[in-house]
Amino acid sequence: MTAVAGWIRGIGPLVSRIVAALFGGYALAALASVAVLALPMSKPQAVLTGMLASFAVYAGAVIWVFAARSARRAWTGLLVVAAPLLLAAWSVW
Amino acid sequence: MSHLPPLLLALAGFTALAFATDRQQHDLLGRPLPPSATRALRIAGAAALLLALGALVAWKGWGLGLVMFSGHASLAAGVVLGALILRARAAARAPKR
Amino acid sequence: MGNPRVKTDRKPPPAGRPAAPGIRQSMSGLHTWVGLLLGWVLYAMFLTGTVAYFKDELSQWMRPELPHQTEVPDQALVAQRVADALVAIAPGSPQWSLRLPDARNNSVYAFWRTAAAPGQRGFGEASFDPATGRKVTSRETMGGDFFYRFHFQFHYMPVIWGRWIAGVAAMFMLVAIVSGVITHKKIFVDFFTFRWGKGQRSWLDAHNALSVFGLPFHAMITYSGLVTLMALYMPWGEQAAIRTPAERQQLTAELSAFIQPGKPSGETAPLASIEDMVRHAQERWGRDNVGRVTVTHAGDAAARVAVARGEAGRVSMSPQYMEFEGPTGRLLAVHEGVGAAAETRGVLYALHLGRFSDSVTRWLYFLVSLAGTAMVGTGLVMWTVKRRQKLADPERPHVGFRLVERLNIAGIAGLSIAMAAFLWANRLLPQGMADRASWEIHGFFIVWALTLAHAALRPARTAWIEQLWTAAALLALLPVLNAATTRRPLWHSLAEGDWVFAGTDLLCWGLAGLHAVLAIRTARHQPRLRPARKPDRDPMAGAALRKGEA
Repeated sequence: MTAVAGWIRGIGPLVSRIVAALFGGYALAALASVAVLALPMSKPQAVLTGMLASFAVYAGAVIWVFAARSARRAWTGLLVVAAPLLLAAWSVW
Repeated sequence: MSHLPPLLLALAGFTALAFATDRQQHDLLGRPLPPSATRALRIAGAAALLLALGALVAWKGWGLGLVMFSGHASLAAGVVLGALILRARAAARAPKR
Repeated sequence: MGNPRVKTDRKPPPAGRPAAPGIRQSMSGLHTWVGLLLGWVLYAMFLTGTVAYFKDELSQWMRPELPHQTEVPDQALVAQRVADALVAIAPGSPQWSLRLPDARNNSVYAFWRTAAAPGQRGFGEASFDPATGRKVTSRETMGGDFFYRFHFQFHYMPVIWGRWIAGVAAMFMLVAIVSGVITHKKIFVDFFTFRWGKGQRSWLDAHNALSVFGLPFHAMITYSGLVTLMALYMPWGEQAAIRTPAERQQLTAELSAFIQPGKPSGETAPLASIEDMVRHAQERWGRDNVGRVTVTHAGDAAARVAVARGEAGRVSMSPQYMEFEGPTGRLLAVHEGVGAAAETRGVLYALHLGRFSDSVTRWLYFLVSLAGTAMVGTGLVMWTVKRRQKLADPERPHVGFRLVERLNIAGIAGLSIAMAAFLWANRLLPQGMADRASWEIHGFFIVWALTLAHAALRPARTAWIEQLWTAAALLALLPVLNAATTRRPLWHSLAEGDWVFAGTDLLCWGLAGLHAVLAIRTARHQPRLRPARKPDRDPMAGAALRKGEA
């Protein structure tokens, strides 16, 4: 049992980061692409701007997740950025 | 106008920039150049690159000109860098003086 | 003399708990694993994509029955000819579209929606001879389009799956580029000062050099690749904002010159002269620079015709087209501008495809893209080279190492063999064979699978050498095969000034030479099999992410 617990403690943060990068990063990018709609431009331009920028957001999120000092900080950072984006996205959805 | 002048300019530019670095002066010449010469090389290299860009933009406009410039610049940088690596390898294999 | 190469991962850890890794070290680990995981997919995408820069030329080479085009035929005449053929072939079609011949293309590719039962979306397609307006009677082949399509959607799977895999791989590539730049940012601070390793570090040297000098291209091609399919990968903004058909129409008009069929009137009315409409466009964009003619509801009173500008001479894929009323030929509108975001997308799209290029620029694209392929390849090989020295028992490496080693052989050398085999199949499969085009492709995958089996069964180094020589031989003999099986051997095409055929033959020899050099170097190379310095270290835990703890 303790061996399993130790293994989880060893590998857990890494798995957590991978999940944060793959799915957290995508979610953040998707959120950003919707949040752009709150900007004052025409709908087609805003939609395309969101799409164009989303991959940079995704890449930045992945880099952040692996650069952060701990897995917890990585998640916190994602959430801190997500909060205002969520507000902006909420206003247009 | 053809593609040759910009390519040659880019090659010359990167060669000058390479010679403007301490490392290459040490490896290729065995001694550092005076600071004034280094500065002149750096300016000449940058000028050659800008000239290549200018020629391409004047010829084809900004869109195509920029694309072609980055192509020529990449190729030229690759050639100069490759030549430096090959030379360094050859020097390493040769017996030490 | 000290080696200024960045080696933060060798810093001794402070006593007690291992310290959190520094940014450069964590980025180095990220770079290694992101690069490795989908490395073979990326390598295949890079190489087939590189070759696809010459897809039109390759398609011509693969249809040797179509004569060499000495000059571009008058596009207006060709458009009328093929339009007449389409009116007969696809009556009642809600939409058809044809791509006119240009300097690189000697046939007219057309597709049409079939007037199918409601709810069903059927398509037909064919290539036409510009001189006669009849369907092309060359051998059945997908031509260079196979490499082009494989490059972003693979094969033997639903197109959408393939595109998602390609998207994930491209995203990995983007992360690999950014993390690689952060890890080695010293290279960029002073480009030529970077101390190149001597002797043993040849793989790292090659990888660095290939990455650095092509970096603008690698970054551009990866990001713009994602942009080409961005509506698939990031549909959320579109779903949130675009709700009415009018808004959808507005968005589509920013992206594509394909006019969408509206409702037919039910009243028959023949199309006005397509030739005149194309003439109109030629006056605006140049004689050889009309790209595509799209017609909706041909034969109906509500018919519309869009004549789009060609791709040459402008770095943008944004739609530019003239819209005509079908039965009268009256010009309805000229669409020449889109919004800023749409134009950004159009420029990135064009940069990715490079179709605007003249032949020198196309070669630059090809060379730098080939360097990108080599960058991925050297990165993959480096993973094994770095780890081989640390193996506890070099004679019996662990299973992960063996897997990577074998996949490298089939993924790199084997892919060259398979691609050459595809071209061999094009020349050797009998003309009238059923499903001939599909069998060319099956041949590609069968040969690729065989190279994997070969790589798994032979000792690694032998497998590398044998496969590289096989690729070199297949490529070197391709011009010979071409001379034996077609009426367009190299000496003939050189004499005729047929640079499509001569260029393909010569490029095959060039690539054969490249493979031969690699084979010779591999054969000459003596791997240093030092016993690991720390045999007690668990080889399975050799994760670069934890390097600093050793």
